[in-house]
Amino acid sequence: MTGRIKFTFLLFTLLGSILLGDLVLPILNLLIHPDWHGWMVAVRQPGAIEALKISLQASFIAVLLMMFLGVPLSYALARADLPLKRLWISLVFLPMVVPDLAGGILLLQTFGPNGTVGQPLDSRNIGLTNNLAGIVLAQIFVAAPFVIVSAIAAFTSVDPKLELAAATLGDSRWQIFRRVSLPLAWPGIAAGLTLAWIRALGEFGSTLIMAYNPHTLPVYMWVKFESDGLTGALPAAFFLVVLAALAVGVSMLFNRMTGYADIVSGKVIGAGR
Amino acid sequence: MKLDLRAARIKLLMAFVLLCLPVYASPISEDSAVSVLYAGSLAAVMENGVGPAFTKAKHIGYQGEAQGSLGAAQMIRDHVRTPDVFISADPTVNVKVLMGAQNGNLVKWFSTVAYSQLVLAYNPRSKHAAKFQEAQAGKTKWYEVLQIPGVRFGRGDPSIDPKGYRTLFLFRLASRYYHHPEIAGLIGDAMNPAQVFPEIVLMARVESGQFDAGIFYKHEVTAHKLPYVSLPGEINQGDARFAKLYAEESYTTPSGQTINGAPILFTVTIPETARHRETALSFVRFLLSSDALLKEFGFSTAEHRIGGDASLVPVELHDLVAGGYSP
Repeated sequence: MTGRIKFTFLLFTLLGSILLGDLVLPILNLLIHPDWHGWMVAVRQPGAIEALKISLQASFIAVLLMMFLGVPLSYALARADLPLKRLWISLVFLPMVVPDLAGGILLLQTFGPNGTVGQPLDSRNIGLTNNLAGIVLAQIFVAAPFVIVSAIAAFTSVDPKLELAAATLGDSRWQIFRRVSLPLAWPGIAAGLTLAWIRALGEFGSTLIMAYNPHTLPVYMWVKFESDGLTGALPAAFFLVVLAALAVGVSMLFNRMTGYADIVSGKVIGAGR
Repeated sequence: MKLDLRAARIKLLMAFVLLCLPVYASPISEDSAVSVLYAGSLAAVMENGVGPAFTKAKHIGYQGEAQGSLGAAQMIRDHVRTPDVFISADPTVNVKVLMGAQNGNLVKWFSTVAYSQLVLAYNPRSKHAAKFQEAQAGKTKWYEVLQIPGVRFGRGDPSIDPKGYRTLFLFRLASRYYHHPEIAGLIGDAMNPAQVFPEIVLMARVESGQFDAGIFYKHEVTAHKLPYVSLPGEINQGDARFAKLYAEESYTTPSGQTINGAPILFTVTIPETARHRETALSFVRFLLSSDALLKEFGFSTAEHRIGGDASLVPVELHDLVAGGYSP
């Protein structure tokens, strides 16, 4: 019996390592032949620093907006008796699977200077493309589903009995949300926010169309690739990978805290693990 | 029994996936096809015109890829692409990125193919479409339409796209041609963020009506069926007779390369890294015999002159080329 299990694991590991070849090798390959000196020089160029600044600024605003708008939405989707709930949830998922470039074109037709929403604003001199607002709109379009998906999952995993107990003690819905649901779901939400942040930071396709200028780091990398070839693009690629690695690390940290949330809610104990 | 069947199915599926891996990796279907890397503005001409026509005539597969001319050349130099044929929107891209020892001699010769010219294309549903129409009819000057408050127009990015710097030349040439210094001022800074976009983004902006107009090549506009205002030969950079005039303008890229104005001329070459020389030759022969097709797509014919080392031009092409090209 054990031999059989071992064989299964062996086979699965083998299969998995084929996949890892695609996932991990390209990143290792970047680090095998590093040109630290050249990369440092390239990264200190004013254009690169400016692009990093724009990327950090825009993604920070995007994360704040996704948090203050996305978390309430997720709570409603997880707990309220909304009509057509499944439809809403799938609509929210949709941008995650729409190709970036298509998303950019759809955004442009809506928020562009002659777009449905953009035109009335444009006549009041408020532009939503080719500025920070355009970048943030593109980033939220692709990244918000990450927040909503993980927040819905996190809120759903909170034991309803705890919320019920708070209700019998006389807590209002808002108090239950603030004192019970949110604290218990928070690590899961934070993990989603971190992933959304890095997705926003790396967004390229729809940003290119919504806001070519000011350049974000990924757009800057593309411009460098077009004008200077590989040597121009690699430094930016390296720093985007570093930022992504950081974000994955932070996200995993939050996920470990989710385990803690499970213990508090009694689910793990109940499961007898 | 049921479970066994399911397990068998999973095993079968796994085996299938594993068997597929080497199949995907081997270039069975691409083996005989010609791969062509070409200047982005040619996308419609190549994919809807030359590519299918070549396959139909020669029974050889065609695989095209559009990239910015400069970007495409860098890809060949960096060995991230090994196309059989490279078509550039500017002869100097060959010279500066691919030819010579400093570039690994990846290209040793090229032939000129056809001229194009810059035009002012506009969206037919723009509020100002009637004004652009008047300009095309010669009743208004095109730059006066661009001066109307609220008219939005875009142009290519001079740091990554030959059309970008050619547009800068266009406005400077126009200033002198019409004796109106303020025409050059219409574009502001060379990298003016309100106007500068990558090729495909600019086309998307004008076609979707987010922008009223843009400066494009005539062949792009022909393919996308946008109405346009033709510009005089002295400024549209599509007329070899005015080569000297064009050469008076120059632009220095952010990376420090200075580019001089010249007629808009497309070139073709077979890079040294090409994998299928036979099919490559067949394709270049076909392209150099396709003047009528190119004309249909908005190009003007050009004599096929050779840049670089004329003695290295494959003998199969000798009857199609004539004389040397010098910028």
